[in-house]
Amino acid sequence: MIIASLNMSRLSTFLAIILLCSSSLSADAVVNSVEKIHYTQDQIRDLGFEIAHELRCPMSVNQNLFDSGAPIASELKGQIFLMLEQGESKQAIIDFLVQRYGEKIRYQPSLSMATAALWFGPILLLFGIIGFAALLIREQRKHQDTNGNTYE
Amino acid sequence: MIPELGLVFLIISTVSALLLSFIPLYAAYTKNAYLFSYVKTLTALMTIAICASILCLLASFLMDDFSVAYVANHSNTQLATLYKVAAVWGSHEGSMLFWMVSIAIWGCIIVFSPRYQDRLFIGRMIAILAFVIAGFNLFMLFTSNPFARLLPNFPIEGRDLNPILQDIGLIFHPPMLFLGYVGLTVTFAAAIAALIGGKFTQQHASYLRPWVLMAWVFLTGGNAFGSWWAYNELGWGGWWFWDPVENASFIPWLVATALLHSVVLSQQRSSFRVTTLLLCLLAFSLSLLGTFLVRSGIVQSVHAFASDPTRGMSILFLLGVFVCGALTLFALKANLIKSKSDFALISRDSLMLLGNIILLVAAISVLLGTFYPLLFELLNLGTLSVGAPYFNSIFVPLTFIAVLLMGAAPLIKWQQESLNRLYPLATLFTLAAIIGVLVAMQTRGGFNPWVWLGATAASWVFFTLGYLIFSLRSQGAVCITKKAAMLIAHFGVAITIIGATAVSNFETQELLRMGPGQGKVVADYTFVYEDTVDVDTKSYTAIQANIRVTDVDDNLVGYITPQRQTFKTNAMEISKAGIMRNLVRDLYVSSGQQLSDTEYLVRISHKPLACWIWIGGLMMMLGGTIAAFSALYSLKRQRATVKSSSSQAMPKFTEELA
Repeated sequence: MIIASLNMSRLSTFLAIILLCSSSLSADAVVNSVEKIHYTQDQIRDLGFEIAHELRCPMSVNQNLFDSGAPIASELKGQIFLMLEQGESKQAIIDFLVQRYGEKIRYQPSLSMATAALWFGPILLLFGIIGFAALLIREQRKHQDTNGNTYE
Repeated sequence: MIPELGLVFLIISTVSALLLSFIPLYAAYTKNAYLFSYVKTLTALMTIAICASILCLLASFLMDDFSVAYVANHSNTQLATLYKVAAVWGSHEGSMLFWMVSIAIWGCIIVFSPRYQDRLFIGRMIAILAFVIAGFNLFMLFTSNPFARLLPNFPIEGRDLNPILQDIGLIFHPPMLFLGYVGLTVTFAAAIAALIGGKFTQQHASYLRPWVLMAWVFLTGGNAFGSWWAYNELGWGGWWFWDPVENASFIPWLVATALLHSVVLSQQRSSFRVTTLLLCLLAFSLSLLGTFLVRSGIVQSVHAFASDPTRGMSILFLLGVFVCGALTLFALKANLIKSKSDFALISRDSLMLLGNIILLVAAISVLLGTFYPLLFELLNLGTLSVGAPYFNSIFVPLTFIAVLLMGAAPLIKWQQESLNRLYPLATLFTLAAIIGVLVAMQTRGGFNPWVWLGATAASWVFFTLGYLIFSLRSQGAVCITKKAAMLIAHFGVAITIIGATAVSNFETQELLRMGPGQGKVVADYTFVYEDTVDVDTKSYTAIQANIRVTDVDDNLVGYITPQRQTFKTNAMEISKAGIMRNLVRDLYVSSGQQLSDTEYLVRISHKPLACWIWIGGLMMMLGGTIAAFSALYSLKRQRATVKSSSSQAMPKFTEELA
């Protein structure tokens, strides 16, 4: 943003390249302001396929855009490649399609209050069960010590 | 006439199942040995009747009796005989019947086998099995009768079997999966029998072990064949999509894997008996929940072929009865089951426990992801999808930890291990991690953490198991053969991980417009579209693309012929991919929609090490089978020694009853 306000195009291009190389996150920020990403053909193909794998075809039962043979899937794949040619970032393309087709198109749900249970549930569960098992075993041990080893 | 006979047999088996679910429990309660002696007779009656019933259905299929609705909807005079047989379990009603037949046969074998000395336990177990059979039989009789007639205006020609199902996969995949579920039902019944009796001895654990192993082998097979079938048939080139229907059979597999290891702990170490029982209940409950998910059609899936919302409620009701009953009993009786826990923090016991916990968490996470969109919609929060990116990001790290434990556990002693024996493990892990880094650097985008996880896990397994074999070498071949089953199965896991990692991360693919004369180079192979031909077979017409494949030196590798098939009976259109495979890579071509007069949308993939996924699956099955048979053999030997040492086995049983 600061770069954009300075409006020094040569410097910003230079910085954008450095940022692009260093991390994709900061690259996104720059892209959103002024610069577009220049992908190579191979990058466009790989990234395009990657995006198509992460989105759901709005027409077919439960298939991603890449696998679906429905006409709308081809159209959206075309849209993705078009936007990549225009230098849009992966996040920008996904956001655009989510805006157009709703949250359901995204196979990886975004993190929000409503999906917190989905994302943090497994981790809490893991530690919960381990803690519970540890407690239970300790309890059992105490019992064994007082009663002697009574088991079948 | 034959369908009516089938129905009558079904009713007979239902009635005998109802009796059988009551008599052994009552006889055991009142200590009535005379009444108890009817268990065998009733089991035989139930099994024979239900087998006769499914044979009647089979006969209706073979005789093209289209007055039977199920036959009319799923068969056709043109259908090959093999598929007429397979169509018996090709859809809802028949598959339910097939499931119950398998439970009855499995139960019958157990009841009549002399291996199992504790007749009281077996009697209670068969009572629970009969209760399950009775429940589902009533469900069949009232809501989905496979023998329902279409009278008087029956069709002259049947609708066809769903074209996608007309594949060798239908002959293997569903029966295997059902047998897996049957095995889980048997272990469930055994767990309930143990809870009713208020004890779960080492002997009971050794009964349970072969059943759990066999259930696991069948489930592994069901999942592996299912994935193989989808890969070949559905034309989308995926081998696993985390689709709700795939998850429905994968969740029980994960729990069964945990159960399998827990039974070993219970049998060999007399520990974790309550855990084993709980896992038995859980595995069966989850398999029923999966059935509900698939059959009710509440989820959207590419694999659901037998869904109908009206049946959902009945299955949910049965699920409620079984699960609530079982859990109540568990809550009441679990405190009677005693087991010991005398192991240190660093011991094989604790590693196996941790591994089981991780498997369980993985199963519940997959369940959570599968049900989340449903709950989300139910709570009016909107719609969302939970798919592969979510499942991978949860499941892969969990699997990684589980595999680390899997490699380490066989090298660590039961009960307690000293810390300095862990140094070789640390060295091995460092080696594995370095290999992981080297492999992960090979991806196009530089270092890929997913590849690192996969490569490290796989090489860790190879190193640790190799080290195990190396250190057992002094103790002779016998010691290694004793561990052969475990070794084969664990190597299988590593092989599957290698295949899955390679296909997911090193695949090269192209999606392009292709017509005669055009070509494309993908991963050093040249694909040339030669021509389009029309193919006409008995059941479908197809547009076939002939694609010549040459390697980097311009040698002909062969032809790949993807088809777009249109079925004659119902005009359904499917895409059949062309796959050329060897051990190192699969070349996968599928042809999509027509773009111009001569051009089609063609997808070309080079999938390295794709077959390894299923080779690993087969190895797991082999390991499981060896383990199951050795467990059965040791049961037999145990019995022989009991007999020779004292001939009081029978008096003891009557004593227990009287």
